[in-house]
Amino acid sequence: MPLDYQPILLPNPGRTTAVTLVEYEARGGYAGLKKALEKTPDEVTAVVKDAGLKGRGGAGFPTGLKWSFVPKMPGPKYLVVNADESEPGTFKDRDIMEVEPHTLIEGVAIGSYAIGCELAFIYIRGEYTVAGDRLNAALAECKKAGLLGQPSQLKKADGTPFVLDIIVFLGAGAYICGEETALIESLEGSRPMPRSRPPFPAVAGLYMRPTVVNNVETMANVPFILDKGVDAYKAIGNPPNNTGPKIFCLSGHVKKPGNYELPLGKITLRQFIEEYGGGTPSGRPVKAVLPAGVSAPIIHSSQLDAVMDYDGIKGAGSMLGSASFIVMDDSVDMAWAATRMVEFFRHESCGKCTPCREGTNWLEKTMFRILEGKGKESDLETLQFVSKQIAGNTLCALGDFATSPVTSSLKHFKDDYLLRIGKKSDRAAE
Amino acid sequence: MTLSAATVTAIHAEVARYPSKKTALLPALKLAQKDRGWLSKETLGEVADLVGLPHSHAVELATFYAMLFTEPVAPVRVEFCIQLPCALAGAEAALDKAAKLLDVEMQGTHGTRHGHTKDHQIELHGTVECYGACHRAPMCRVGDDYVENLKTDDDLKKLVGDLKIRAQQAPGH
Repeated sequence: MPLDYQPILLPNPGRTTAVTLVEYEARGGYAGLKKALEKTPDEVTAVVKDAGLKGRGGAGFPTGLKWSFVPKMPGPKYLVVNADESEPGTFKDRDIMEVEPHTLIEGVAIGSYAIGCELAFIYIRGEYTVAGDRLNAALAECKKAGLLGQPSQLKKADGTPFVLDIIVFLGAGAYICGEETALIESLEGSRPMPRSRPPFPAVAGLYMRPTVVNNVETMANVPFILDKGVDAYKAIGNPPNNTGPKIFCLSGHVKKPGNYELPLGKITLRQFIEEYGGGTPSGRPVKAVLPAGVSAPIIHSSQLDAVMDYDGIKGAGSMLGSASFIVMDDSVDMAWAATRMVEFFRHESCGKCTPCREGTNWLEKTMFRILEGKGKESDLETLQFVSKQIAGNTLCALGDFATSPVTSSLKHFKDDYLLRIGKKSDRAAE
Repeated sequence: MTLSAATVTAIHAEVARYPSKKTALLPALKLAQKDRGWLSKETLGEVADLVGLPHSHAVELATFYAMLFTEPVAPVRVEFCIQLPCALAGAEAALDKAAKLLDVEMQGTHGTRHGHTKDHQIELHGTVECYGACHRAPMCRVGDDYVENLKTDDDLKKLVGDLKIRAQQAPGH
C-alpha cells in the first residue's frame, strides 16, 4: 500500500508547467519568508538546525550547521545554490526548478537572510535551459511584487528593508561543477577544478568571501520549516537522523520511472520498486540497485529490505547520496554496467589530481579489454589495485566515486567478469 | 570582427552584471557560440578582449566544457544519452535506429560513438553524460532542446523527420 503522505516539495505530481507566483501565494507561499524576517538571522539558522535538515545533494551535511559556520564580519557574503544536477539517474532538482521555482526562490531568500547575503546565485547545469528560463520568469514576478530587490518591499526584524538579488547562472556541461569548490571556480570564470581545503567556502568561497553552497532540494525544504515549524517538519520522516521528506528518483528497469517524494525511512527498497515503480517491465527479478546514481556502491538484491533513509542505505553497504535509484534486472551484465559508469568518470574527471586523471583512464582501458573478451584474470587485480590508488588520494570525491562501481561490482558480481574473460562458462543470469 | 553588434551588446551587459568581470567570461563565450556556431581562435580572442581578459583565459574555458566547441559542428547536433539509466531503457538501439533512418555510418566504440549525414547537416553522438531525463528515456538533445520518450519506432521516425526539417531550415543550407 502506498503511504498516506501529502508532498510538500513537489505537491503537483505530473505537472509539467511552472507554478506562478499567484498560484504559489494562494497555497501559502512566501509565508515562510515573512515569518523568517520576523526572527533574527541567528534564530532562523537555529530553527533549520533544530529541524534536522541534511543536505540533499549527496553529502548529507546538516544545513543549519553549515549556515552557522559563516563568520559574522562586514562585507559581502554569498549563498550559491548548487543546481548542477549531473549525477546519472538524478532528475529531482530539474523538476523542482521547472515546476516549483518559487519554492526554491523562497528557500534561497530565507537562507540569504540567515547568513547575511544580499546577492545569491543559482548555478544551473548548462543543459537545463528550461529550468533557467522558468527561474528567471519567477524571479521577475518576485521583483515586480516587491519580494526581492535592492531593496525589496519586505522589512527585516530590525526594521530595515530586506535586500536580495538572485542571479541565475548557467554552466556549460561539466559534472565536476557539482563539487562545491569547482562550482565556485566556474562561477568565478576559471576552469572548474576543485580547490584544496582549508580554507572552506564558509570562510573563503566565491570571490574569496564567506559562501554557503546548498543543493536545490535542500533549499526547497526550508520554506516549510519556517512556515509550519520544527515540530511539523520533524513529524515527517524518521528522526533524529532522517528527518523530513526526500525526493527519490527512480529509473532503469521499472515500469513507472519518475520522481517520488516520500518521508525518509518509511518504506523499504523492495516496496519502492514494486509498489511505486511497478516492478521490472520484464517481470524478471531485480539483480542490483544503485541508490545514489553511479557514485555509491551497488546494492545486491539480497539487501532489498533496506529502509529508504540515510541509515538504512548505509546499512545495506552503500550511501543514500542524491537518492537516485537505478534498478537493474537479472539480464544485466554487471561488468558492462560498471564499464558504462567508469566511462562517465573518465570523461568527467577534471584532470587536476593525478590519481583520478590517470586512474580513471586505466580503469576504463582495463574494463574495455575485459568487455571485448581480451581480458585476463590478472586484470581483476589491476582494477582493484588502481581503485585503491585513486580512492582517498584526490582533492574531491569524484575519485572515490569512480572506484565504487568497479569495487562493488567485483565484490557482488565477480562471475560476470569471469564469464567475460572465459574463466566461467555458464551464466547464472541466463 | 566576427561577432554581431547584438552579441557584443549582450556581452557588455554580462560584464556589467557580476561582481567580477571574469564571471562574465563563460556566459560571453556561450553568447559568441550562439552567434557563430562554434568558437574559432579569432572568436575566442574577440570575446576575451570584450570581457577584458587575456586570450588564454577564453581558451582555458572553451577547451574544458562539453557544451563549448572549438571546431565547427553541424547545424543540427544530436546527442543521445547512453549513460546507464538510458542504456537500460534501450538508448543504444534507439541511436542505431536513428542512424539507420538518417543513413549515418557511426564510428567509435562504447560511449564515444558518432557520425554525420553525407551532407554534414546532421551530427549524431552517443554521450556518456547524463542529461537528467532518465525517467523519460531514451532521450536526446537536439541543440539545446530535449526530445524525450523515444520509445517506439514511430517516435524515432518523427524525430528523424524533425531533424531533416531543422537541417533544411539551418542557415547556409
